[in-house]
Amino acid sequence: MKLLEMNHVRKAFDGTEVLKDISLSVSEGEVVSIIGPSGSGKSTLLRCATLLETMDGGELVYMGERAAWNDASGNTVYEKPAKLKHIRSYYSLVFQNFNLFPHYSVLKNITDAPLIVQKREKEEVYQEARTLLAKMGLENRENAYPCELSGGQQQRVSIARALAMNPKILFFDEPTSALDPELTLEILKVIRDLAKEKMTMVIVTHEMNFAREVSNRMIFMDKGVIVEETTPEEMFRSTNERTREFLGRYHDLG
Amino acid sequence: MSFEMMLVQLAQGMVKSLGIFMWTLVISLPLGLLVAFGRMSKNPVLRTIIKLYISIMRGTPLMLQLLVVFYGPYYLFGLQIGGSYRFIAILIGFGINYAAYFAEIYRSGIESMPLGQYEAARILGYSRGQTFFRIILPQVIKRILPSVTNEVITLVKDTSLAFALVYMEMFTIAKQIAAANTTMMPFVIAGVFYYIFNLLVAVIMEWFEKKLSYYR
Amino acid sequence: MKKLTALLLTACLAVGLTACSGSSADTESTDSQETEAAEETADAEETASAETTEERTTFTVGFDAEYPPYGYMDENGEYVGFDLDLAQAVCDLRGWELIKTPINWDTKDMELNSGNIDCIWNGFTMNGREGEYTFSVPYVDNRQVIVTAEDSGINTLEDLAGRIVGVQTASAALDVLQSEDYADLTSSFGTLQEFGDYNNAFVELQAGAIDAIAMDIGVAQYQLESRGEGFKMLEEPLNSEQYAIAFKLGNEELKDQVEESLMELVNNGTFQSLAEEYGIEEFICLTPDSDASAEAEDAAAEDTAAEGTEDTAEAAETEE
Repeated sequence: MKLLEMNHVRKAFDGTEVLKDISLSVSEGEVVSIIGPSGSGKSTLLRCATLLETMDGGELVYMGERAAWNDASGNTVYEKPAKLKHIRSYYSLVFQNFNLFPHYSVLKNITDAPLIVQKREKEEVYQEARTLLAKMGLENRENAYPCELSGGQQQRVSIARALAMNPKILFFDEPTSALDPELTLEILKVIRDLAKEKMTMVIVTHEMNFAREVSNRMIFMDKGVIVEETTPEEMFRSTNERTREFLGRYHDLG
Repeated sequence: MSFEMMLVQLAQGMVKSLGIFMWTLVISLPLGLLVAFGRMSKNPVLRTIIKLYISIMRGTPLMLQLLVVFYGPYYLFGLQIGGSYRFIAILIGFGINYAAYFAEIYRSGIESMPLGQYEAARILGYSRGQTFFRIILPQVIKRILPSVTNEVITLVKDTSLAFALVYMEMFTIAKQIAAANTTMMPFVIAGVFYYIFNLLVAVIMEWFEKKLSYYR
Repeated sequence: MKKLTALLLTACLAVGLTACSGSSADTESTDSQETEAAEETADAEETASAETTEERTTFTVGFDAEYPPYGYMDENGEYVGFDLDLAQAVCDLRGWELIKTPINWDTKDMELNSGNIDCIWNGFTMNGREGEYTFSVPYVDNRQVIVTAEDSGINTLEDLAGRIVGVQTASAALDVLQSEDYADLTSSFGTLQEFGDYNNAFVELQAGAIDAIAMDIGVAQYQLESRGEGFKMLEEPLNSEQYAIAFKLGNEELKDQVEESLMELVNNGTFQSLAEEYGIEEFICLTPDSDASAEAEDAAAEDTAAEGTEDTAEAAETEE
């Protein structure tokens, strides 16, 4: 079964079309990377998928449950809030800027939503949070506050926070863009480990080599359309001019 | 009147001043939050009304507002106002005036919150109420504490405006003792009392700020 | 002035309310509503006063607590004064509970009209205000006098020309100075400076910010006595007038009750001994067995100037 299906997604900001008829699906256990130049619409696509942004047209389906669909005139209609709340529990998102809650300790950042939103057992939630922290290499920092951690540590806490919700699918929105190169490696290792555990992930990234290594499938977006969608090997051997130009630019920089 | 007696009388007035102070905070701090919501409402009618209310509260003297609240019911509706209305009028007057000021402080604090905090809460499935009270408000309070401290210190001094309705707070009593004894001493004592009052307020607010300094 | 203030307040509130309701108010309906409300109030007042005839248990006196010796705070923080003690004696006779409500002199009309207080009893000058209140018989002959520093070189009213003269806001002295009869005198002043309370005024006088203060003679005596050396009172008074108790216009019933008890106090000597206690026995104008109503008419009819001269002469004799 497809975990996520997006069909014919359209989105415009002030008349400028950012997404033009984009379709995308993700199956269980897949790791999908979305690459492309800035302004290509990849972040907007992620925000539409996570309901942070509303689509103008198109369909959004998680686990076969429709979150949004087109009405007769081709405009998107969303499900009732209660249903959307349920659908939100299928996925989580790791932000570029972490967006940790600064007034909560590391442990509370991770445990608050499972306790308050999912209303799970306290003991179980705490145990799971500590296991996640250990996995992130942060077992001694559970009482620290976000401002006391390095950027890499903060991003690891935010990944733990996302995982604590037990999502079926995890989105990453340029998770290493705000980090120094040496801290980037910490995060990439964590994501790599998650991939080994068959965590379903959709990653918007600029780390081409990492994307190539970790993904089952790569999507190259430019100017609001999907230019190419294929395996990493095929992508890097692509004959498409725009793909070659984009990847070439990265190779030159690297 | 002996110096000791003056101290006793003024201290009794101080208790009344403290009463105005406390009640005003109890009323205006939560009310201000509601007003701030109205000010940021998507409904243009509500937003405009609240904007007008805030502008009147900030644009006219508090003393005049106290007079309107106290005498308004009679002159507008012919209602007979009993003696107990005096204190209630003071609380209404101070409450709605300070709520307007606090509303603007809340608003500035709420609007300064980064969007990412709301988005993170949304992704994690917090409801709107949970997002506001668990994530946003605690951080807003830390941000606005210095402005709130300023307002609270002003309030201590503003309690003396209750003399306009001859409520027996410290300043009114100081005026009366001064008149009966043809001396300025009560004003000196009152000044010292106000200063000590505010010193305490400053210490308490500093303690709050320190308590919230565990994060940035 | 008072009416203007009231009107402004009302207008402010009305504008606020109209803006809140967001609808343009129908003027006609508002007018008729107001008239109805006024009628209702009038009805209510009639009923209320009819009831109070039998049921009155309290008597609320409004006074300026910064106006010794008529009303002020004593050594123990209690409100006392000639007028307040007199009011207490009246209440004792009638079995009422006296409620002493300090008011701002500026807003005394609002307090009285809104029913916060039953009367203004605090060295209240009746002359010139007869149409605005229902007054009792006058009980004190008062004079407005000029107080100045001993070394000011001011000895007569003419010497005030070009000087700065202080006077309390909304006081009888201010009314006198602003009346037509005194236009020449007042225009000869350098400045007529209003102030809120006598304490500030005396400090300004000492500091030289003002040259003289116009005030009631009873107040002047109290101030001069408690402040000691350095001040003097001009022998030539500004005018003469009477103090009376002011009730809401039309409240004859309460006035009659209070007046009746007041005359009883005059006849049993309480009135006189209270006056002595507060040092104003020279000024009282009610004598045992005098007919209250006749006295009132006399006072109104008599030429105030002539009476003033008489009183001055009497006062001068007493001093000698």
